[in-house]
Amino acid sequence: MFSRWNWVACAFYLVLSICSPDASSGLVQSCGHIIPESPVLALGSNFTALCILNESCLDFGNIYASQIIWKIKNRLVPKEQYREINRTVSSVTFNDTSSLATPLTCNILADGQIEQNIYGITVTVGLAPEKPKNLSCIVHQESRFTYAMTCTWNPGRHTFLDTQFRLRYRWPEQIFPDCIPKDVNNSCTIDDSQFFVNTEIWVEATNALGKAVSDPLVVDPIDIVKPLPPQNVSVTSGLLPTVLQLVWENWISDAVMTLKFNIRYRIVGDTNWMEVPPEDTASPRTSFSIQGLRPYTEYVFSIRCMKEDGVGYWSDWSEEKTGITIEDQPSKGPPIWRIIDTSQSPACWTVHLIWKALKPYEANGVILQYELTVRDKSSLSSPVKKYNVTSTNYTLQLREGTYEVTLIARNSVGPSPPSVLLIPASNSKAPVKNLRTLPKHDKLWVGWTAPNNYVLKYVIEWCLMSSSSDCIIEWQIVLGDVQGIDLKGIKPFKCYLITVYPLYADGQGSGQSVKAYLKQDLVTVDPSKTEYTLSSLTSDTLYTVRMMASTDNGSRTGPDFTFTTQKFGKGEIEAIVVPVCLAFLLIVLLGVLFCFNKRDLIKKHIWPIVPDPSKSNIAQWSPQVPAKHNISSKDQMYPEGSFTDVSVVEIEADDKKSFSEQDLKPFDLLKKEKSTSEGHSSGIGGSSCMSSPRQSVSDSDEGETTQNTSSTVQYSTVVLNGYRDQTPVQVFSRSESTQPLLDSEERSEDHAGGADSTPQRQQYFRQNGGQDETNTDRPCFERTKQITHANEGDLVGFVQLQISGQSSQPLGLGMEKNTQEAAVSNVLQTCTEGQTVRAETVEENPLSVDEMPKSYLPQTVRQGGYMPQ
Amino acid sequence: TGVVPFVALLLLQRRPVAGRALLVSGSGCPSHGLCRSNVQEQTRRQVAVLNATAQELFSLYLKCQGEPFSSESDKLCNPAGIFFPAFRVNRTSERKEVMVAMYKLFAFLNASLGNITRDQEELNPTAKELLERLHNTTKTTRGLISNLTCLLCKNYNIFQVDVRYGDSSKGKSTFKKKQQGCQVLRKYVQVIGQAARVLLPHLSPS
Repeated sequence: MFSRWNWVACAFYLVLSICSPDASSGLVQSCGHIIPESPVLALGSNFTALCILNESCLDFGNIYASQIIWKIKNRLVPKEQYREINRTVSSVTFNDTSSLATPLTCNILADGQIEQNIYGITVTVGLAPEKPKNLSCIVHQESRFTYAMTCTWNPGRHTFLDTQFRLRYRWPEQIFPDCIPKDVNNSCTIDDSQFFVNTEIWVEATNALGKAVSDPLVVDPIDIVKPLPPQNVSVTSGLLPTVLQLVWENWISDAVMTLKFNIRYRIVGDTNWMEVPPEDTASPRTSFSIQGLRPYTEYVFSIRCMKEDGVGYWSDWSEEKTGITIEDQPSKGPPIWRIIDTSQSPACWTVHLIWKALKPYEANGVILQYELTVRDKSSLSSPVKKYNVTSTNYTLQLREGTYEVTLIARNSVGPSPPSVLLIPASNSKAPVKNLRTLPKHDKLWVGWTAPNNYVLKYVIEWCLMSSSSDCIIEWQIVLGDVQGIDLKGIKPFKCYLITVYPLYADGQGSGQSVKAYLKQDLVTVDPSKTEYTLSSLTSDTLYTVRMMASTDNGSRTGPDFTFTTQKFGKGEIEAIVVPVCLAFLLIVLLGVLFCFNKRDLIKKHIWPIVPDPSKSNIAQWSPQVPAKHNISSKDQMYPEGSFTDVSVVEIEADDKKSFSEQDLKPFDLLKKEKSTSEGHSSGIGGSSCMSSPRQSVSDSDEGETTQNTSSTVQYSTVVLNGYRDQTPVQVFSRSESTQPLLDSEERSEDHAGGADSTPQRQQYFRQNGGQDETNTDRPCFERTKQITHANEGDLVGFVQLQISGQSSQPLGLGMEKNTQEAAVSNVLQTCTEGQTVRAETVEENPLSVDEMPKSYLPQTVRQGGYMPQ
Repeated sequence: TGVVPFVALLLLQRRPVAGRALLVSGSGCPSHGLCRSNVQEQTRRQVAVLNATAQELFSLYLKCQGEPFSSESDKLCNPAGIFFPAFRVNRTSERKEVMVAMYKLFAFLNASLGNITRDQEELNPTAKELLERLHNTTKTTRGLISNLTCLLCKNYNIFQVDVRYGDSSKGKSTFKKKQQGCQVLRKYVQVIGQAARVLLPHLSPS
């Protein structure tokens, strides 16, 4: 018993002890504590913690050090690591702090069963900072007077502890404020560095486990400057066409630091930079003339600088500036060649002189014109003819003979050296020998052996041989010491005709030609086979096939066979046409499916719903059927739609006399407002009413069409033959026609429904929801009469609004709320459009459809109208 | 109240804006590792920089003070009435004597430039270039003092030099502040040229 009370007291005390916010000074004290408190330990070192119990707990709770257990987080520390120092102190030792975690708690097993926490500490394990290494600094010039020194270092290993780095620096007898890195641990920037003073810089890394200091760096900041690049660089052209002068400003005065420079330049559009020899710009300066440039060429320049002695850093390159050298005379004459056409007459030549425009580095400016001089060498008396040409060709009509053509290109500075072309009467000189070709990657090499005589130049002509077009000649002139060139722009698998002409000082050699390909396939075929299929050919291309039979003793080629591939391969047309057709069919199919899915919508718009009399319950309409025919469900009765919700109140013209003139007044008004037309119907029920060729009121001119159609529409109508005190008789009439209503008719009923009254016959649609027995005593027409009490202007406006379909909406809405049935609502809308007064009737008698008794009398139908039985 | 004389101990970095020196005693050459052989050249370069920029600084100062300083600088900026350390050394003077005179001169200038900078920050806070130049010149004189300290200590075991500073401008009128700065800078332009010439043979690399 005592033990139990003792245990309870002890537990209570422990709880109070633990919950006490201020154990040392509060009423309740902790039962013990751990030393050291929140230690920071080096990773891998050993660690011993002591849990010291308070004496008060010993007396009160029978708690002793022997009962202490240690825990790391929730994991029990093995008891081998415990040591009971005395009855109040227990220690735990960890040989490697890497096994430690937070928290380390001292707990006690009260009565050997209940574990209670006495105290806990946070243990932080980390590493002492390493000595920062590789300290280096650079001074960035930020403005004319501002230099910021940024030092970087290697902070060493991660310490897992909060480690502070400080960049420190000093002069001989002055230490400056430390630079504390922001957000990083490996660099810091000193905003204000001072030149010409030896500055000692070092880094200190400090955390809870120690401090490490880098090796000091002693430097004069002037020796680690990265200056700003020269500013306000400008390029000016001088008097010489090959020189441009570069002028700039330096950010640093010579008193502070003398500079040397690098100047680079390139032609605009070229990516390769050229550089002025560094030794030419190794001294302080603010300008430099770049020489050896091409005339009339735009160059881009950029410059950078650094301390003259080369100690420090190069600045960034300055912004690029461009300059153009001035023009110079063209350096050479344009290459010229001729094509002689003797097709008209061998004695009369049409000479097409063609020359190539000079390259920019040859033209040295803008070529303003070419000066062509033709001298007849056969006749010394013939005058020299001169032509000024701006294009690169000229056609002459010359007699057969020897001519010397001279061509000069001229720019604003002067003329080019003349290019001379001798056109001999005949190419009687020796031709080149051993003309041959060799494909080299994407170029076709053409080589030849020079004739024995000295050749001034060679002209190489080549053209693509094609069955479909003429051979368009390209040409090139090379010097006489050249015996082979690479032709560029040659297409593979195409046959080229290449001709080489040697040009002599006193004449021209005949051309030697060769056909060549840049690329052609060589296929080795098994000797046993006598056929081979060529594949991967290009369409619409002329190919030449050459067969060569080889034996061990040699080879012999057969004659060349040429053919042209077709424009379209086998099946290519089919491959195009079939998918197109399939796609078309698919689109059509999708269209049909879409129409099928939306057939109701489409039908509604272009083919209105027409009741199927075969499904009507005509038998039930017989007069023998009781007036209160029990129709349990409207849907059962007329499953095809809302049509059956509509009935027509038909008032025979003959009965008109039974109406007072006052009653008919509104309809006369309607007539005034509307154009009169025949055959317009209003809704399906309205159609039945208006299928008669009798006149009806409409605001459209579509009556004729409607008339033709409506006369044969099949539907049913309830005709009321009753008025006021007369007993209303509901008569159902139907047409024998099977032709559906047209859309125009369907629409017209919407417009004309409210003005259907004619002098001969007044027709009213009504919604059967409102047609209860009571209402049959108060037909629509009665309501119309009520409206006539209003003044005439009001009535006209009212009707107009109804026609527009707007004014009826509030009433219609009221109906919908009452009936809660969409189909009914739709018909109601038709009804209200036709006869707004009908809504009022319904409002007064908000009976549901099911509640409404229906009584119909069958009608006989004859052509042109519906006659009541 | 005239010039207030002070005695300052060498090896002391005093606050440049103060009108008087702080007394800190020391013995031996501090940071001996920093007193390298290049200090002589560094000192010459510092004086050269000051000499190269002094006239521009003075002209800009006059420009920023407005009238009547910009038009009547000869009269208003006449330094006859102010204290300025005597710089009675020439190329033939002993190097030690030159170094001491230089120290006195630049200790004075450092303090005076600090005062002028402080006054201009107050009077012409938007004259950014002037303030930059004043600040830069003050920085240079501070580095120069550090190098001279090093040279005197290392070469001549001189740890102590009597330094006399100028008047403090604190509490003076705006005009007086401007005028005092103008007088100091004008004299500075004259003396720094002389110092550069004197130093050339003494501090050139041998």
